[in-house]
Amino acid sequence: MDTLIIDGLSFALPLFIMSIGGIYSERSGITNLAIEGLQGFGAFFGALSVVLLSHFFNIPIQKLFYLALLLSMVGGMIFSLLHGLLSIKFKANQVISGVVINILAMAVTVFLTTQINNMVFGAMSDKFQIGTSQRFTIPLLSKIPILGAIFKNIYPFEIVIVFMAIFAYYVFYKTRFGLRLRACGDNPHSVDAAGVEVSKVQFKAVMISGALSGLGGISFAYSISTNFSPAIYMGYGYLAIAALIFGNWEILPTFGACLLFGFARAGGYYMGQLLKLPSTFSDLIMTLPYVLTLLLLIFFSKTNRAPRALGEIYDKGKR
Amino acid sequence: MREVKVVEKDKKNHFTGFVLKLLGNEKWQFLTIPIFLIALSFVVASVIILILGKNPLMAFFNLMQGAGIMPKPSYAGYKSILTDFLTLLNFMTPMIFASLAVAVALKGGLFNIGVSGQMLLGGYLATVLVGYSGLNAFVAKPLVLIIGILGGAMLGGVVGFLKHKFNINEVVSSIMFNYIIQYVLSFFIHTKYIDPVSRQSKYINSAARLTLVNVERFGLKMDLPLGFIMAIVLSIGIKLFLDKSRVGFEIKAVGANPKGARYAGINVGKTMITTMALSGAFAGIAGATYYLGYFASIQPRVLPSMGFDAIAVALLGNNNPYGILASSFIISIIEKGSTYMSSIAGVRQEIASVITGLILLFSATNVYIQHKIRTTKEKYKYNMGKELEE
Amino acid sequence: MSEYIVEMRNITKRFPGIVANDDITIQIKKGEIYALLGENGAGKSTLMSMLFGMYEPDEGEIWIRGEKVNIDSPNFATKLNIGMVHQHFKLVENYTIAENIILGIEPIKKYLGLFSHVDLKGATENIARLSRKYGLEVDPSKKIEDINVSMQQRVEILKMLYREAEILIFDEPTAVLTPQEIDFLLEIIEELKRGGKTIILITHKLEEIKRIAHRCAILRKGQLVDVLDVKNTATREMANLMVGREVSFKTEKKGACFQDVVLEVRNLSIKNNDDFDVVKDVSFKVHGGEVFAIAGVSGNGQVEIADAIAGLTDIFQGEVLLNGKDISNYSIRKRTVEGISYIPEDRQTYGLILDFSLAENLALKEYYKEPFNHNGLLNRNVINEYGEGLIHKYDIRSSQGIKTQVRQMSGGNQQKAIIGREIELKSSLMIFVQPTRGLDIGAIENIQRMIIEERDKGKAILLISLELDEIMNIADTIGVIYNGEIQKIASADALTTNEVGEFMMGVTA
Repeated sequence: MDTLIIDGLSFALPLFIMSIGGIYSERSGITNLAIEGLQGFGAFFGALSVVLLSHFFNIPIQKLFYLALLLSMVGGMIFSLLHGLLSIKFKANQVISGVVINILAMAVTVFLTTQINNMVFGAMSDKFQIGTSQRFTIPLLSKIPILGAIFKNIYPFEIVIVFMAIFAYYVFYKTRFGLRLRACGDNPHSVDAAGVEVSKVQFKAVMISGALSGLGGISFAYSISTNFSPAIYMGYGYLAIAALIFGNWEILPTFGACLLFGFARAGGYYMGQLLKLPSTFSDLIMTLPYVLTLLLLIFFSKTNRAPRALGEIYDKGKR
Repeated sequence: MREVKVVEKDKKNHFTGFVLKLLGNEKWQFLTIPIFLIALSFVVASVIILILGKNPLMAFFNLMQGAGIMPKPSYAGYKSILTDFLTLLNFMTPMIFASLAVAVALKGGLFNIGVSGQMLLGGYLATVLVGYSGLNAFVAKPLVLIIGILGGAMLGGVVGFLKHKFNINEVVSSIMFNYIIQYVLSFFIHTKYIDPVSRQSKYINSAARLTLVNVERFGLKMDLPLGFIMAIVLSIGIKLFLDKSRVGFEIKAVGANPKGARYAGINVGKTMITTMALSGAFAGIAGATYYLGYFASIQPRVLPSMGFDAIAVALLGNNNPYGILASSFIISIIEKGSTYMSSIAGVRQEIASVITGLILLFSATNVYIQHKIRTTKEKYKYNMGKELEE
Repeated sequence: MSEYIVEMRNITKRFPGIVANDDITIQIKKGEIYALLGENGAGKSTLMSMLFGMYEPDEGEIWIRGEKVNIDSPNFATKLNIGMVHQHFKLVENYTIAENIILGIEPIKKYLGLFSHVDLKGATENIARLSRKYGLEVDPSKKIEDINVSMQQRVEILKMLYREAEILIFDEPTAVLTPQEIDFLLEIIEELKRGGKTIILITHKLEEIKRIAHRCAILRKGQLVDVLDVKNTATREMANLMVGREVSFKTEKKGACFQDVVLEVRNLSIKNNDDFDVVKDVSFKVHGGEVFAIAGVSGNGQVEIADAIAGLTDIFQGEVLLNGKDISNYSIRKRTVEGISYIPEDRQTYGLILDFSLAENLALKEYYKEPFNHNGLLNRNVINEYGEGLIHKYDIRSSQGIKTQVRQMSGGNQQKAIIGREIELKSSLMIFVQPTRGLDIGAIENIQRMIIEERDKGKAILLISLELDEIMNIADTIGVIYNGEIQKIASADALTTNEVGEFMMGVTA
């Protein structure tokens, strides 16, 4: 039971922070299928930075953990500028732009990872080893029956994500920026008429989604594999999108959806171990989140309401 | 001061005039803009290669050599530029089908990012049902195609159905199916069809293979991709179908304006499913020619990247089947020549997908460029007109 | 200080292919109600868009309170205390009234002196106070999607007042209102004037100008025709100046000659996506040779009725009979074949496929029949010839004939194409929804004449319009809808405009 909660949370939280990024972008009216690429590029950027820093300055890589998180956010943000440029400035189809960015992110990061490994370390590898992130347990709280597991074996990034999520919630629903952002996704003309530059708000929203995706990406890199490799492109970015669709583009319900994914995945592995299935069955267990996504989409897609102006190319001149 | 300004303005006008002359002719834009975009991608790639300390022109020349467009300095026995070129066509064949799959869906307003999964499913079913059977070539080869088509069309159709019935974004559902198929088929391959040495599925019987391999002629050993002829024929066929047929008209109407199409009495849901099934069928043929033509086995747990490159090809070819023939030729050269380039020029093979990615990126701005050229042209004419008046 | 609060001097604005404003000069005094009169496309909105900073003039100057200004954005216009109520409201549907009003100038408070947040509570109180002051009767905590058009308009007015606007521009404010709501609005405008505000009223309705405006500038085809003192000018003179020729206010019409019942709607109920009843138990009949008009304020269920008859919306309860046959379960296409022509409200989204050619659009409802379609293949020659025929018959103008992409055509010609196509279907029932919206007077007259012609051929006509004038002008029978229910069905001769207006607001007499 404990492992279920521990593993479930360590998967659900990175997913959740990526979903929040998606909510920011989509509620501002910009369809964002690029999360998959953004999280990959963000994680790449963070991993690359700390690997280089630790190599050239001889710093133990474990010490650079928080820097890796920060730089991953920066990396995700940088790459998200592309989505902003294509879909806001160049008025490209936002779906196409998102998919293009995913493909490009994968190509670029794989190329650069092997190239840099070769040039700097003289190694033939498509991975950056970023070290393990030390887990910890909160003494008293972890003694609570059942729910105490929440406070056991926590990755530090989980704490960061929780705080980021709360802050993101506050900005989204309480501040001036949040009010304007949500208005953009419903009726950009009203925002324009109120003297606020729609494209700027949208650009910021897309950049935030890039940063949060990067944070999610590097967290997966730490929790699943302790390295950055092309295996980061597991489609979790798309799961994050599915989660925010069930969450009806609101932050709290989306959290519920992410928890569901997390526990389903952890539960699958748990079951696999319990039933002593041979390792080939791991392939089937891997499909669980995806199958669940499809099933949930079948039940929820019809009743859910996307932001009214989602995916619309905003043109000032048109009324 | 004023004179300087005038000169600058003149320069700017000259430049605008030059660009307009280059790209402004709307009749030729289908050709000029893609060429411009490819050139742009290669310029960016050159910069990357230069930074790595290599000569980009040499690298690109090696790329052409590897693809069988330019002669290599030496060849192994039974090999020549012709065999290299045939290998290129062999690789290009599934690429054309995969890109047509993307294009058909886009015409109908749908984005088929599930081409990879549909290829895999079509290829897998054909491999398992026909590839390992003892059927003779005349039965096996057509059967491979039919099963590939059915597999791909079925999966595409389901995606279309989910979109129509439950309003599920086709991109999200296709991606989910991609992963599901990848893992489920990997499970079956691992449990039933694995070749313990190659870690891939066992080789199929040559009777079922869509490429005739090692055919000896003129002292050479060649691979003859039978599917290539079909790729050309079907490119023309689908073009005619979209332009001339009633169903093609309906697909385009739904793609251009689903509400308007519904008002006009077109059954939008049915058309959407038809479109995706048709798109999936092409992906299925792509899978058959890829796994039972170019290769003869399936690597488990891997989606063919061709399904994604096909998006680049389709966008670059402006969704026009003839354009796709040209653009898949170019992308194939990049993908196929990269191995040789990397061994000779020492530029990593992975740069190939970066170049493809860049082409894709720039292609996404195609519509904007067209629009920009149109408005600049109007402004330019207007400015020039005013100056003439003065 | 100048005598004028707003001066626009020698303003010229060009768009590709058209001069929208040609050397226009207007001067507006503080505290007056100044009307801009002109047909659609005369350049009124463009002129005011420049005053509000949405466009910049190519030539000419704008002076505000005696100072030359360069208004480059709505933001700057707001700083100059200029406000505008647009024809299409700019409101966020899922926001409250208060949130909409403060958008862009949100008042800020801080939690713990650190976390700034939007002070919605304070704003709500301020807005309620402002609403009371001008008698606007608005509850700021309600959501936009829950209030009617008239109140939405008052929200737009509050938006300007909240920004302390002194110069208020109204762009066609009465187009969507009932006569009674119009009265209320005009009273508010007069109240604002008494409060010292300067009002600019863009309109093409002469009665309103006559009732409240002091002076009136008349624009025609981008040029200023005249500026008149409203008190000393006859309505007819203004109308003639606006159109540039003598206008007849009434469409020529013979008496109706009713034939058999063509359309019968029985106890029709419709639910929308939110499971909310938008049409409740509606029944009516339309005969051949009759124009049956449904009058009502926008959003009261009339468009849903038309959609349900044509098959675009699901029927929840009740049935639709065409020539005595129950067609409730027929597909859209089958209904078309049975004899329904439908001119939809939104011609660009529904009526046409903008990226297709004119010929393809003209054949949009028949392409699948012989001889257009033979064994699954389309015969382009037949489609083109058919298109050519319609272009001549209905005088559809375009730059490249049948090959023109419909997107490139003017609104009037797009509408002609749709109407031509639908008439050629030779259906027994023709549904027109807002057939003249956004068109200029010439086109309006032309289309109204075509509707009467079709009636005289014995067709049953169902007309849905928000323009009460249009309904009074051409309807034989009027059904008034309010909140999804038919309030009254009566012969057009038996109703006055004001009576219809009262039924439109749910006042049951």
